[in-house]
Amino acid sequence: MKNLSIKNTLSDALYFIGSMGILAGVWQLVTLVTAGEIPGPVATWSVFTELLAEPFYDRGPNDKGIGNQLVSSIIRVFTGFGAGSLVAIPAGLLMGSSKIGMKLLNPIVQILRPVSPLAWFPLGLLAFKAAEGATVFIIMITSLWPTLINTAFGVASIPSDHKNVGKAFGFSRWKYITKIMLPFAIPHIITGLRLSIGVAWMVIVAGEMLSGGVGIGFFVWDSWNALSLEKIMVAILIIGTVGLLLDKGFNALQKAFSYDQR
Amino acid sequence: MSNINKPAPLVDSSNDFHKINRETAIEINNIEVSFKTPKGKFTAVKDISLEIKRGEIVALIGHSGCGKSTLMNTISGMVTPSSGEVIANGHVVKGPGPDRGIVFQNYSLLPWMSVYKNIYEAVDSVFKDKSSSEKHAIVDHYIQMVNLTPHKDKLPSQLSGGMKQRVAIARAFAINPSILLLDEPFGALDALTKGSMHIELLKLWNLDNRNKTIVMVTHDIEEAIFLSDKVVVMNNGPAATIKKIVDVKLDRPRNKKDIAHDPEYIRIHDELLSLLFDKFSIED
Repeated sequence: MKNLSIKNTLSDALYFIGSMGILAGVWQLVTLVTAGEIPGPVATWSVFTELLAEPFYDRGPNDKGIGNQLVSSIIRVFTGFGAGSLVAIPAGLLMGSSKIGMKLLNPIVQILRPVSPLAWFPLGLLAFKAAEGATVFIIMITSLWPTLINTAFGVASIPSDHKNVGKAFGFSRWKYITKIMLPFAIPHIITGLRLSIGVAWMVIVAGEMLSGGVGIGFFVWDSWNALSLEKIMVAILIIGTVGLLLDKGFNALQKAFSYDQR
Repeated sequence: MSNINKPAPLVDSSNDFHKINRETAIEINNIEVSFKTPKGKFTAVKDISLEIKRGEIVALIGHSGCGKSTLMNTISGMVTPSSGEVIANGHVVKGPGPDRGIVFQNYSLLPWMSVYKNIYEAVDSVFKDKSSSEKHAIVDHYIQMVNLTPHKDKLPSQLSGGMKQRVAIARAFAINPSILLLDEPFGALDALTKGSMHIELLKLWNLDNRNKTIVMVTHDIEEAIFLSDKVVVMNNGPAATIKKIVDVKLDRPRNKKDIAHDPEYIRIHDELLSLLFDKFSIED
């Protein structure tokens, strides 16, 4: 059994290396076709090691290490995501547990959900009088919808079998919420959170391009202005890797909270 | 009233004890249950009146979809009759209550809780005034009673069908209801497990001095006769009514092996068969 799992891990690692090989190959091809206008893997790698040699340097407002940029983006995302979740989860619970709540709130959600979060940026600026607040604000808006919708539909889909247990044994409202509704809804909520953080991480790049300051999105824009395409490629790889790690983290959380897979 | 001075006979020595001088536990007065559907009104059961005495075991039997479960759910309070009323323990049934324990058809255990927690939450909900240690003692007692102590920390998904059934029964017994409602409780079990569950159920009933009233839905004739004092045979739905109430006057305690040869058992069995099936052979 143990041998088998080691074997699996090993083959998974080999597949991953193969996959990265394909990526590097295609990338190199694009570089050759564009006659070096887009920097290839080798050039990018050397810039990457250069940037990582001193990730946290700080030479004034427009010259900070890649680590600084990344950390401030992550903090921004989690602040906005946290605030959004604090609104979305209770609202979703409310929406899912009452038919009236669902009918009243669902149209609002359906209208606002397809709006690009960037459209909220000016309103954020107006409200917070600062780019920083506006960026966190759009991340918050972004994080609302997937969590809200998943929570609401999770709660709405509690099987009548489970509800009947509460009825038959006279569960108080509090006991119903904590022992039946939440345990059933938590895997759905986490799925929502996982989707939310994914979208939030995508939106932060665009948001920071608008807002400026410190952050991985701004770093991309700044590198473009400085015509350092290698840095942009590095940033793309880092953004992708962090996104993957965030997703893996929430995936692990999802597994930890699902009762039927244990 | 001459029996006031006589000591009450021991439960197991007199099988009449639980049948005489008993008050009414459940009274169903001319109820009808109908649902609104897109195609109009659908009547599940109608013109049903039934009286069940305290300590009786009553089986509701009939073909699938004949409204047995609906009828039982009017007693549990999960379904409200469109007309007529159900009186349980002297009160008109307005909703589910802890005086009526329910064992659901599919057990309905909460999958995220251990066996112990599943029972504890029900006990905690019903006995709000008891101390924590008293409540834990009750749960331990009933888990012990259905022989699940070694499995008390398992999740329902780790249990076999028979074990889940025992948890559901322990949960229903633990809140000490005077009426126990079982909805096809042994339907999903294999014949061997079913047989031992019948014995377990009667054991639990005996331990409580045969004071609990048990109503069960089933479509198993042998099970109905073996367990009950009365078998209520229902017509086919929709708009099902009671076809006949058959009394089962067999001595208790009953023995699964011997009972099958009892002439009375055979007579009741035949009667139920002919009530349930119009034709006994395939016409060529």
